[in-house]
Amino acid sequence: MSWTWFHKLGSPKWFFQFASRWSLGVFLSGVVLLLIGLVWGLAFAPEDYQQGNSFRIIYIHVPAAILAQSCYLGLGVAGFVFLVWQMKMAPIFIKSVAPLGALVALIALVSGAIWGKPTWGTWWVWDARLTSVLVLFLLYMGVIAIQNSLEDKILADKAVAVIGVVGLINLPIIKYSVEWWNTLHQPATFKLTEKPAMPMEMWLPLLISSLGLYLFIAGLAMLRMQTEVLNRERRSSWVKEEVLKNGI
Amino acid sequence: MHSSISLNISNLWIERGERYLCKDMSFSLSGGDICKINGENGAGKSTLLKIIVGILSPLEGTVYYNGEDVSIHRDLLHQDVLYLGHNSAIKSVFSVAENLRWYFPNASDEAIAYALSVVSLSGYEETPSSQLSAGQKRRITLARLWLTDKPLWLLDEPFTALDVQGVSSLEKRMRDHISNGGLIILTTHQDIDASLNVKEINLTL
Amino acid sequence: MTYFSFTKGELLTLLRRKQDTMNALIFFLMVVILFPLGVSPSPEFLSVAAGGIIWCAASLAILMSVEGMFKEDFNDGCLEQWLVSGLSLPVLILLKVSIHWLIVIVPLLIMAPILAQMLFLPMDIFYVLLQTLILGTPALFLIGTIGSALTVSLRHGAVLMLLIIIPFYLPVIIFSTGAIRAAQSGMLYDGQIAILAAISLASLVVSPIMSAISIKASVS
Ligand SMILES: Nc1ncnc2c1ncn2[C@@H]1O[C@H](COP(=O)(O)OP(=O)(O)O)[C@@H](O)[C@H]1O
Ligand SMILES: [Mg+2]
Repeated sequence: MSWTWFHKLGSPKWFFQFASRWSLGVFLSGVVLLLIGLVWGLAFAPEDYQQGNSFRIIYIHVPAAILAQSCYLGLGVAGFVFLVWQMKMAPIFIKSVAPLGALVALIALVSGAIWGKPTWGTWWVWDARLTSVLVLFLLYMGVIAIQNSLEDKILADKAVAVIGVVGLINLPIIKYSVEWWNTLHQPATFKLTEKPAMPMEMWLPLLISSLGLYLFIAGLAMLRMQTEVLNRERRSSWVKEEVLKNGI
Repeated sequence: MHSSISLNISNLWIERGERYLCKDMSFSLSGGDICKINGENGAGKSTLLKIIVGILSPLEGTVYYNGEDVSIHRDLLHQDVLYLGHNSAIKSVFSVAENLRWYFPNASDEAIAYALSVVSLSGYEETPSSQLSAGQKRRITLARLWLTDKPLWLLDEPFTALDVQGVSSLEKRMRDHISNGGLIILTTHQDIDASLNVKEINLTL
Repeated sequence: MTYFSFTKGELLTLLRRKQDTMNALIFFLMVVILFPLGVSPSPEFLSVAAGGIIWCAASLAILMSVEGMFKEDFNDGCLEQWLVSGLSLPVLILLKVSIHWLIVIVPLLIMAPILAQMLFLPMDIFYVLLQTLILGTPALFLIGTIGSALTVSLRHGAVLMLLIIIPFYLPVIIFSTGAIRAAQSGMLYDGQIAILAAISLASLVVSPIMSAISIKASVS
């Protein structure tokens, strides 16, 4: 197997040129898909026979919750890659993605609370998924906090990578423990997003909005990473050429 | 007598806080040499020592100790090195003698008493280090030079806390060390006894 | 420096700085006392909540005592000497945490029966609490060490450290209190105990490595 893609990905210059070509397209197709998925899900998909219209919030909640997890997974993998191969792009990825991950986790929390009100009658229930997302949100806050607190940039990069790897190992344990804890405390009547045998008209818009949110966040992440690459490599000759050629 | 040792610095680039401290520096040293790193305040003398000993990494370039790349075979270097940095590395909960025992658990009482006498700390063996001045702590650190059998010494401003007599004892100790085949790299603002045949490295950027 | 002189030195430091350990233990006691005073002193509430109360208090006390673990070594330059000593940094860290654990856990276990009485925890459940404390607290120390190593260069790193470490404490707290709860309702709790032991073992492998990376990056 050829490893050139791996080395290319590790080069800020290569990434910058790749991202300048793709980021806007990815972002825009994300917006379009997200809109299609949401409009379809919120306005046209059939009502749930048990929960009525309130279930429609899953078209926001589920993609956000999944993405919050995927972003953290990405963070952990990037941390590992940085600690093992010192790949330059890895800390740039972590720094750019962490706030986005926190944002989607927050969206998942808020949408979960909005869903909770008509379903459970309260804004917050210690539901397994909601609790996991809350913990995930706190994990993101930790990553962001340490990134911002450490003045030494080299140390900050190492620190978030360490937290990311420790988080990667812990994520399944935390998730499992929260689920186990949840069954211990409340056999939930309604679980957020437990839909056995969802009909096609229901899950297709869900799939589309999930994909849309993925691309949307990926596009944003690429844009943020581009800025970060420029900032870190501002003294290198290729950045100067780039800026001279295309402006900022 | 130490077996022959060598230290090669090859194409070293150092960057600190977004500033280059040296570009493409190379030099070689071997047992019997004393090397003095020159440079103004903030030129990167301490940084260069830390890079040689592996606490910091260079931007580019390699340090070879006895022909082995130090970034890969760090242990080989660390078995042989005595590094005295800016901080005295003295524990304030320990007494003076306990501090030296922490580094040299097998040293005899006499050896410790002698090392302390050279740095004019005789009679302080049982004093808690927290009751000593910064200069005195620094001298405990220097006492390690009379207890060690490591061949490679990296000394960051070793003379600062010493009086005239202390300086001449240290110079004598260094002379003994290199005549036994040891290698010393140090930074200092002081002029060193000319008979020591000091090699100089300049950091000017 | 040898592993032995290092260990001896750490032990000596902790014994001479008894007050630091005492503070953590008194803090532990105070958090426990907050619950009867702040929530309810009724035996019905306390006997059910005792496991959780003791575990939360222990977690906070352990965080407190682990937080400054490397601060002094960092400030006086000893960490640099660890790095160039030719000894393995992860092993040195592991030795240091183990000693810390021993020095804190022994008095904590001695205090535990008294607290169990004060919180109306039945004797048979108390033994389960002891098991969870012995098997679970190593994980808390080891995970806390990573946080301590990450924030060693910060003057005011304590709050930041709590922020990043507490989420990682959740599984340990959940399974410990889960085991106690299971025992209280007469169910088997071997599974939870096994998980606790597994988490501690995993931390034993991961924590020294991660802490060593953090310390190397912090010393510069
Ligand atoms: N922790 C640090 N972070 C960033 N830059 C540093 C740090 N320590 C020192 N420097 C920079 O490195 C340069 C060299 O420092 P140093 O090696 O201590 O100089 P010297 O020992 O020659 O006086 C200084 O100009 C300083 O600005
Ligand atoms: Mg200096």
